Parts: sequence; structure tokens; C-alpha cells
Amino acid sequence: MSLRNLFNKRASAPTARDRLQLILAHERAGAGGSDLVMLLREEILAVIAKHVTVERDKVQIRLERGKDMSTLGVDIELPVTAAPKPPAKPPAKVPAKASSKRAAA
Amino acid sequence: MTHAPPSRRSVKLRGRAFKALVLAPEAPLPDWFADLDASLKRSPTLLDGRPLILDIAALAPDPDVLGKLLADLGTRRIRILGIEGAAASLSGTASLDGLTLPPLLVGGRPASSIEIPADADPETTSLMIEGSVRSGQSIVHHTGDVTVMGSVASGAEILAGGSIHVYGALRGRAIAGAARNPRARIYCRKFEPELLGIDRLVRTAEDMGTTLRGKPVQIWLDSGSIKMATLD
Amino acid sequence: MAKVLVVTSGKGGVGKTTTTAALGAALAQAGQSVAVVDFDVGLRNLDLVMGAERRVVYDLINVVNGDAKLNQALIRDKRLENLSLLPASQTRDKDALTDEGVAKVMDELREKFDWVICDSPAGIERGATLAMRHADLAVVVTNPEVSSVRDSDRIIGLLDSKTLKAERGEIMEKHLILTRYDPARADRGDMLKVDDVLEILSIPLLAIIPESLEVLRASNVGCPVTMNNPLSAPARAYIDAVRRLKGDPVPMTVPSDKKSLLNKLFTRRAA
Repeated sequence: MSLRNLFNKRASAPTARDRLQLILAHERAGAGGSDLVMLLREEILAVIAKHVTVERDKVQIRLERGKDMSTLGVDIELPVTAAPKPPAKPPAKVPAKASSKRAAA
Repeated sequence: MTHAPPSRRSVKLRGRAFKALVLAPEAPLPDWFADLDASLKRSPTLLDGRPLILDIAALAPDPDVLGKLLADLGTRRIRILGIEGAAASLSGTASLDGLTLPPLLVGGRPASSIEIPADADPETTSLMIEGSVRSGQSIVHHTGDVTVMGSVASGAEILAGGSIHVYGALRGRAIAGAARNPRARIYCRKFEPELLGIDRLVRTAEDMGTTLRGKPVQIWLDSGSIKMATLD
Repeated sequence: MAKVLVVTSGKGGVGKTTTTAALGAALAQAGQSVAVVDFDVGLRNLDLVMGAERRVVYDLINVVNGDAKLNQALIRDKRLENLSLLPASQTRDKDALTDEGVAKVMDELREKFDWVICDSPAGIERGATLAMRHADLAVVVTNPEVSSVRDSDRIIGLLDSKTLKAERGEIMEKHLILTRYDPARADRGDMLKVDDVLEILSIPLLAIIPESLEVLRASNVGCPVTMNNPLSAPARAYIDAVRRLKGDPVPMTVPSDKKSLLNKLFTRRAA
């Protein structure tokens, strides 16, 4: 760790600038209420809720905002009764991954 | 075109009655003032905030004496609302050059006496603060001494009717004798105050010099000015 | 059952967020399960300093309002799995935090973690008093500079009066972390000395964090300084602080980066 830090002389300020540009672009877009990722999250949940009763705390949502692409991962634990074939082991995890292309602002 | 006279509403005048305290000076005036001073020493707030009427029927002073009487009362911060029992000679203002008299009143009726604090001091209690008084905190204790075991921070203040004792550093404001008690004192183990006050006399840090800084100090009032000295 | 620690200061810009991230990471590096909670609603920054800003889905206010469950809003650190962040909302204002809602979230956090570290906003308004309200102990972050010291004194007064612990008549445990300390300037007499600050604030010293470029570097890259460069002076100071918090009697020193590179390398090897 220290060796890498000592010899890797890459300055940290460019990293700071890149991180800020990226997050500010997302925040500015989100301030207008047009945050695509958040919209998708809500709509995906709504669609699934039409077919199965989903407990909100059985839903894990992961988000990774990127420069050219953000990924949204929605893990929903479907109740045993909703599955066509009841699995022997813990409730099936149905990963519903949605990726949304985003242009850098 | 004729202008209609502007309509004016009549000013409403209403009556209101207050109970006032009556001060009736007697000759010889120096003796009477000595008695008054003794009463004020016993209860410093005796006349605070009360409407006061000066009854001069017994004294029957001439304008000069009346002027001096009012001035002497003024030095004791006693303000007179009105004068009762003035002789007819006084009602002509011509003889009162340069003297602004309170209104002359007639027709006062005796009222049940106003509660006056007994001879004894109002109950004094002391307040003990185990820790420190932090910046932005204010301790107000009108009825006695305040003792702080810790320090009084910059930006904190203590206001006490009696004396103030600070066993740590005094860095904030300390105002002792707030109930008109010129005998109140301030003691601190480390002297770095922003402001000191005793009996409405105040001194800011700028006027204190640096010789006492950091030392154990007592502060008291001597003939109208704040004195400070080390305790060692 | 967690210990709830509030990091507070009164004055802004003295290093509360850096300290929250560093203490949280150092505790997690020592094997504790830790949640760091950003109370600076409307001006969140802890997510940036922790490097989790691109992964925020829900925030403290969503949990307080019941829009999301706590475990949906907690963001697990990518480097340390026993370190989680509960971010503040960037778009709402602090009035959205209700007393009851915050109390409920704090209770739930207490159940889940060993340590809950609350990053207080600057000032003495509602956000700051809410952040300290449920704390078991407080870390007061102060710069050796007159306005910071006075503001810290003010905050100590609030810790002793506005917290649940104070209202129950208990003593709030308070520790001082002195940040941006420059021994050379203090020696020259251009900076308040440690003893001056301690005497004025009269609370025990937890750590002296030397002024260091490493703090800036760590926030630039979004990694708590104790993880980004654990051998740097500020990291060592924070790691010592955590050992003291856990009850180890660690002698108080001001760690320094001002060694030659070779010297530094060799001491590392030896250690």
C-alpha cells in the first residue's frame, strides 16, 4: 500500500475533478425531476407489483452511476407462493437487471 | 366649486387610574434624605418601576428649594410623576425659570397602601454551577450569589444579584450586583474577562490593561468606579 | 447494541466529514461493524468523501419518511464490507427530518451495528441538534484557531443540555479531536497550542491530526484517509484515536510525515 502510494505519483486532483463532473451532471439532471434511473426504478417496481405482491423490504436496488452508462440492479425476493415451482432452498432471487444508456451531460 | 371642510374624527380620550406611591419630604431635608438613603440601602429596588408622586404640602418649598429637591431625587435615580399639594404660588410658571416641573396634581385620594418589601432583604439564594459555563450560555440569577466551579467561556455570561465566584478562568462576561448592590464583588481564579459589571457600571476587556491577565483577581466597586486587584 | 457517536464542531470546514469517514473506516478496519450517517441534509458530502456518491439510491429522509427501509438505503462500502453509509438527502431540507422519524432510524441502526457515527452539519440549528440528540458520546472537532475553539465551546454546551443523555441527567462523554495542527507553527507561537485549547475547552483529548496533504488526497479520490494511506500521519492519528475510543491507553503523539522516504520505508518494514 505504502509502496504504491510512494511511487505512484499520479496526482489526485484529476480524479477529484472527474468524480465531481460526473456526479454534478447527474445531480443537475435529477434536479429537474428527469432522473431516468430513478424513473426506471419506480416503473420496474410498478410492473412487478402488478403480477406479484412484493414486500418493499425484500427489494434491493443497486445503482452505479457512470460517465457513459449507469447500471441499475434490482434484486427482488419473490415470495414462495408466487413462484410456479416452489424451490427447495431459500426463496428464489430473480435478478432483474436494467441498464440505461446515458449521454454524458 | 366649494371645498367641504375636511371631516375630522374626534380624538378619543379615556381615563385610567393608577396607584402611586407618595413621597412626602419633611424639613429639614438633609435628615429626610438620610432616612431615604437608609431605606434604599435596605431594599435597593424599593422604588423601582413604581409611579411616584411628590407631596410638598408639608414642606411648602419655594421654587429654589423645590428645584434642588427634584435634582437631589434625580441623583438617586428617583423620577417623579407629578407634584401634589403645591401652593398656589407655584402654579404660575413664571417663577420657575429653567426648571421643568412634573405636572401639578390635585384631587388625589388616599388608596390602600402599596405592598412595600419589609426591612429584611428579599430572600437570597445562591446558585452553584458544578461545571463550566460554555460559550452562548447565560446564567441569570437575580436573588443572590453565583458560584461557578469550572470556567466561564468567552461568549458566556453570568448575571447575579449578588457576587460572582469563578473557581476556573473567567473569560466571558460577569455582571454582579445586578439588583443594585454596589457591595457585590466578582472573584475569579484566572482573570481573562470580556466584560465586567457591578451595579450597572461596566468595563470591557480593552479598559482593563494586561497586568492582571491570567491571575486570581477580585473586582469591587469603590466610590463609583470598578477596582481590580490580585487575590495573592 | 451499538455505541452512537456524533462528530460535531459548530464551525464549518474544520474536518467533521473527514473525521467521520476516517473514524468509521478505522473502526471497521479494526473489525467492528460500522454505519456512518450523514445528517447534513441538503448539503451532503459524506458520500463523496467515502467515494459512494455514484451509488446513492435512497437517503436518510427516505428512511425517516418510510419511502425506503433502512437496509435498502444503507450503502455498503466496496472496500470494507462491515462499513456502511447512510447518506443525507441532497434535494430536501432539514425540516423533513422529524424527531420521531430520526429516533426510529437510530434505534434500528443501534440494533444492526457496533458503532453508529453521525456526521453533524455545521451550525447550532436543528440539523446539528438532531445529529447529537441520540448520541452516547461525542467527538468535538476543533482547529487550533480562536473562532473554531469558541464555536466548539458552544457545541459542548449544547451537548450538555440538548441531548437525550443530558435530559436524562447523565453525563455526555465528550472527546476532542484537534485537526489541521501544525507543530512548527505552534512552536513559533503562531498557532494556539494544544494545551491552550485543552485548558479552554476542558474536555479530554482523543487525537491531534496534523495538517497533511494526505487528507486532501484522500477526499479527492473518495477514500477515507485511514484506508487510502494507512501509514500517513493523519491516518495513524485517526487509528490511534480509534484505539483510545476502544479503551487502549495509547500515548498521545503528533504523528509526522516529515521523514525521508527511505527512513519511512524502513520503519514500515520494521513495523
